[in-house]
Amino acid sequence: MKKKLDFKNFSIYFDQYLFISITLLSIMGLFFLYSASQEDFNTVMKQSIFVGFGLILMFVVSQLDPDFYKTFSGFFLLTSIILILATIVFGKEINGAKRWLDLGLFSLQTSELIKISLPIFLASYLYNKPLPISPKHTFIMLILIVFIFFLVYRQPDLGTGLVVFMAGIYILFLAGLSWKFIFTSFGLIVLSLPFLWNNFLQPFQRQRILTFLDPSNDPYGSSWNITQSKIAIGSGGMSGKGFQQGSQAHLNFLPEAETDFIFAVIAEEFGFVGVCILLSIFFFILLRCLYLAFNARDRFCRLTIGGLSLVFASTLLINLGMVVGIIPVVGMPMPFISKGGSSLLSFYIAFGIIISMATHKKLMQK
Amino acid sequence: MIDLEERIVEKKSFFNRLVIIYLFFGLIFIFFLERTYSLQISEFSDYEIAALENKTKEVLVQPVRGVIYDRNGAIIVNNVPSYDLIIKPWKILDLNKFIEKISLVIELNPDEIDFVTENFNQKARYNRELILKKDLTRVEIARFEVRSFKFPNAFIDKRYSRKNNYPHLFSHAIGYVGGISNEQLNSILEDQALDQDETIFSYSNGFLIGKTGIENKYDKTLRGLFGKKIYEVDARGKFLKQTNYIEPKNGGSLFTSLDLNSHKVAYDKMNNRRGAVVAIEIESGSIVTYLSTPSFSSNDISNGISSKAFNALLKDPNKPFFDRAAQGRYSPASTIKPAIGLYGLEENLIDWNFSINDPGYFILPEDQRIYRGWRKGGHGNVNLKKAMIVSSNTFFFSLAYQSNIDNLINHLSNFGFGKDICLDCFNPDLGLLPTPDWKINNLNFGWFKGDTVNLGVGQGYLSATPLQLAYYASVIANKGINKKLTLVNNQTVKVSENLPLKNIQNSDWEKLHSSMIGVIDDPQGTAKRLKGLKTYTVAAKSGTVELVSTETKEDYKIIRENVGNRDHAIIIAFGPMPEPKYAVSVIIENGESGGSVAGPVAIAVLNSLIEK
Repeated sequence: MKKKLDFKNFSIYFDQYLFISITLLSIMGLFFLYSASQEDFNTVMKQSIFVGFGLILMFVVSQLDPDFYKTFSGFFLLTSIILILATIVFGKEINGAKRWLDLGLFSLQTSELIKISLPIFLASYLYNKPLPISPKHTFIMLILIVFIFFLVYRQPDLGTGLVVFMAGIYILFLAGLSWKFIFTSFGLIVLSLPFLWNNFLQPFQRQRILTFLDPSNDPYGSSWNITQSKIAIGSGGMSGKGFQQGSQAHLNFLPEAETDFIFAVIAEEFGFVGVCILLSIFFFILLRCLYLAFNARDRFCRLTIGGLSLVFASTLLINLGMVVGIIPVVGMPMPFISKGGSSLLSFYIAFGIIISMATHKKLMQK
Repeated sequence: MIDLEERIVEKKSFFNRLVIIYLFFGLIFIFFLERTYSLQISEFSDYEIAALENKTKEVLVQPVRGVIYDRNGAIIVNNVPSYDLIIKPWKILDLNKFIEKISLVIELNPDEIDFVTENFNQKARYNRELILKKDLTRVEIARFEVRSFKFPNAFIDKRYSRKNNYPHLFSHAIGYVGGISNEQLNSILEDQALDQDETIFSYSNGFLIGKTGIENKYDKTLRGLFGKKIYEVDARGKFLKQTNYIEPKNGGSLFTSLDLNSHKVAYDKMNNRRGAVVAIEIESGSIVTYLSTPSFSSNDISNGISSKAFNALLKDPNKPFFDRAAQGRYSPASTIKPAIGLYGLEENLIDWNFSINDPGYFILPEDQRIYRGWRKGGHGNVNLKKAMIVSSNTFFFSLAYQSNIDNLINHLSNFGFGKDICLDCFNPDLGLLPTPDWKINNLNFGWFKGDTVNLGVGQGYLSATPLQLAYYASVIANKGINKKLTLVNNQTVKVSENLPLKNIQNSDWEKLHSSMIGVIDDPQGTAKRLKGLKTYTVAAKSGTVELVSTETKEDYKIIRENVGNRDHAIIIAFGPMPEPKYAVSVIIENGESGGSVAGPVAIAVLNSLIEK
C-alpha cells in the first residue's frame, strides 16, 4: 500500500512493505557478515554504519517528487559518467582493477551509481516520446548504453558492466522496443559472439568462461572458487551447520566469503531451509515492485520502477547463479547482504527512488 | 479520451513485457533453486564428506618396533630413543651453505657430513627427511632450540633407532632394519586402510622395516600398527587443532629360540674364521644357535653407515654379508656316512656284522677307476661301526655302489637334503641333492655309476647348508623323528614326522649312535681329540671337504699353499648321549680337519648349551 501520511501540509512518503523487508534483509545481512568475516566486529560495525545511513538515505530519497528525478536525470547521468572517468584517471587499483574512487571516508565504486542513473535517464528521455520508440531514438539510446557499458567494462568490471547494459535494455524493452528489432539484434549478437570473445574479453575472463563450461579443464585453478562454494553449499544440507559453524568459511576454504560468495556461507550455516527463507524475502520485494510498477502514476515512474527492480533482480540472480555454478564467476555482490558500501548504498537509493515513484500521486490524476 | 485509450494500451504493453521478464527471471530462479536443492539435499552426503576432507588432515603416528629376546629372556634387540637433528632436503637449496651455517651451532664430524652429502639428493627427490646428527646431547639440543628460527628446514625430534645389544652375534640370524621404500610403505598403509597422500609420507620418515633375518620374517609382528593424529586444518594447510588421536599399536615382542650364550661362545671360537655354526634343540626343532662368520655390525647397517665403510664391508674378501649358515653350500663329505649306512641297513644291503676289507681305495668295476680313502693303506677289515669311527671311504664307496640311485636320493631327501627344512628362516638355500635328471639338464652329462659312488662319501655334486646339516644331525639324534626348524618358539604347532624307514629298529639307531660316539671316544675315532673337551658323551661325525682332488699327501701339501684350496672342515654332533638334547653343525672354510678344527667349536657350543 502506498502510504501518504498527512501532517497538515507536510507529507511523508513511505512503503512499509518494502521498508520492513529491506530492513529485515539488512539486519540478517549483518549477522551473515559477522559469521562470514569470521566474527570480525570491525567489518560488521562498518557495514552497520552503511546500513543505518542507507536506510535513512532511502527514506530521504523517497520523499523527493518523481519530477525532481525526471528534471535532474541528465545531471545525474553526467555526474555518474564524470565519476567513472575520474575513477579511470584517479582510481585506486585493487587486484588489477580500477573500480574505486577514494573519497576519504570511504571508497566509492562509481559503477554502482550508473546502474541507477542510466535507467532513470532513459526513462525520462522516453517519457514524452511517441511509442513505439522510433529507430532514431532507439539508436541514440543504444549508443549511450553501449558507451556506458564500455566505460564500466574497461575498469575492468564485466559483471557490473553487463548489469548496466541490461538496465538500459530493460528500459527500452519495457518502453516498447519493437519485437522485430529485438529478434534482429539478438541474431546479430549471437553472430558476433566469436568476435566479442576474441577482442573484448580479458584472458582471465575467457578462462573463467572456459572453466565454467568445462571445470576439468582448469590449468590456472580458477575453478577452486566454485568447487569450494559448491562444497560449502552442499555440506549445509537441509538445516545447515549452525550459525558460525561453517567450516568452509571459517577455515578460509571459501574465497570472497564476505562479498561475492556470502550466499555460500549462508547456505552452509543455515541449510536449504535458511536459503528458502532468505530468498522468499527477496521474492516478496520483487513482487511488491511489480505491484508498485503497475500502479505507478505515469510512464516515467513505471519505467523507473520496472527498470530498477529488474537491476535488483538481475544482480541477485547473477550472484546466485555464480555461487552455485550455473553461470561463470563474474564478481557480483548479493544485494543488501554482501560486504561493500557502494553496492549497499546504491540499492538503498534505488529503492528510495522506487518508493518515491510509487507513492507520489499527481493531484491531477483521476 | 484517445489519450486515455493510448495510455491503457501502453500500460498493458508495459504490463505484458514486465511480466515476461519476471517470468523469465522466475524460470532462472527455479533453475537456481533446483540446483541448490540438488547440492544440499540430493548430493548432501558427497559434499558433507568433501567439506570434512577439506578440513581434516591425518598424520600418522609411528608405532615402536617390537623387542627381540633370546630364549632365556635376554634382550637382544631394543629401541633406543635419541634426539636427532633432522633436515628436510627438499627445502634446502644449497647443502654446503646449510652445513656451513649449522656447523656453527652443532658440530658435525666428517662422517656425518659425508653421510648427509651422499644421501641428500635422493632424499630430496622423494621429499624424505634426512638425519643430520644422531643422539644430540642436552647442550646441543639447547644450542639448536634457541636458534631454531634460523633453520626452518631443520628440527630436532625424538626418534627410535634399532639397537642390537650384540651387533656381531646376530647379524644374520636376526638381521637388520632399514628405511622403507615407497612401495613397501604403500602396501603397509593399504593393509591398515590409511590414506597415502604427500603429507603422510613426509611424516612417516624414519619408519623402519626389517630387511633380513628375523627382522624381515617377523616384520609384521614387530612393526605394529600406525596410530593417527587427526588435525583440523585451514585452507593453507595450517594445523589448527588436534581433533582426534588414535594411539599406535606398538610392535609385539618376539621371543626367539636363539640362545645368547651359545652365540657368544660360537662367535668367540670361530674367531672370525669363515664358516658357520648352527645348533638345534632336538625336541622342539628350534634353532638355538645360528651364526655366520665373519660378521658385521647389524647396528651400523640399521642406523646408517657411510658408503666408505659400507663398501669396505662389501669388498671384504671374507664376505661378511654372506649368510653362510643358511645360504652357504658345502659338500657334506663324510658327515653323510650315517645316512648312507642307514640306507644300507634299510635296503638290507648290509647288517652290523657285514664287513669288507679296506685297502685304502675302491675300484669302480665298470671303468677300473680308483676312488681313494683318506688314509693310505686303508683301515683293514671294516664293518659299519668301524667304517663310521675311522671314516672308511672304501666301505661307503662300495655300499653306495650297490645302491639304486633313485632310492638313495629319496632316502637322502628324507633327511632334508635339497629341501627347505626351516619354517621361518630368511632366504634359506636348498643346497643341492643331485639326481640323474638334474645332471643331464644342467651339466649335459648322463649319470655315471661313479657319481653314485661319490655320493656315498658326500662328495661330488651333493651340497647342503649348515642349517640343513644341523637338521640332518637332529633327525639322526632323534632316531628318525623330524621336526621342521624354527627361530621363534610356539609360532605354529609343529608336527613331527617319522622317517619312512621300514627295516630300521631301535637297536639300529642305538648302534648308529654308538658308532658316532666312537668317532670321539674310540681311540681310532677321527675326532678323538675332542674327548677331553667335555664331561658328557657326544655323538659326532666329522668330515673334510675336498676342494681340490689330490692323489697323495705330498700333492695336497703343494695345493694347500693357497689357503683357498685347503679342505673345508666340517662336523655334525649331538649330545648329551644317550638322550641327546642338542644337535650342532659347524663348518670352517679351508679349516682342513673336521675333527680337530670344526670339532672344538661344536663341543664348545654344546657345552654352552648343556652345562649352563
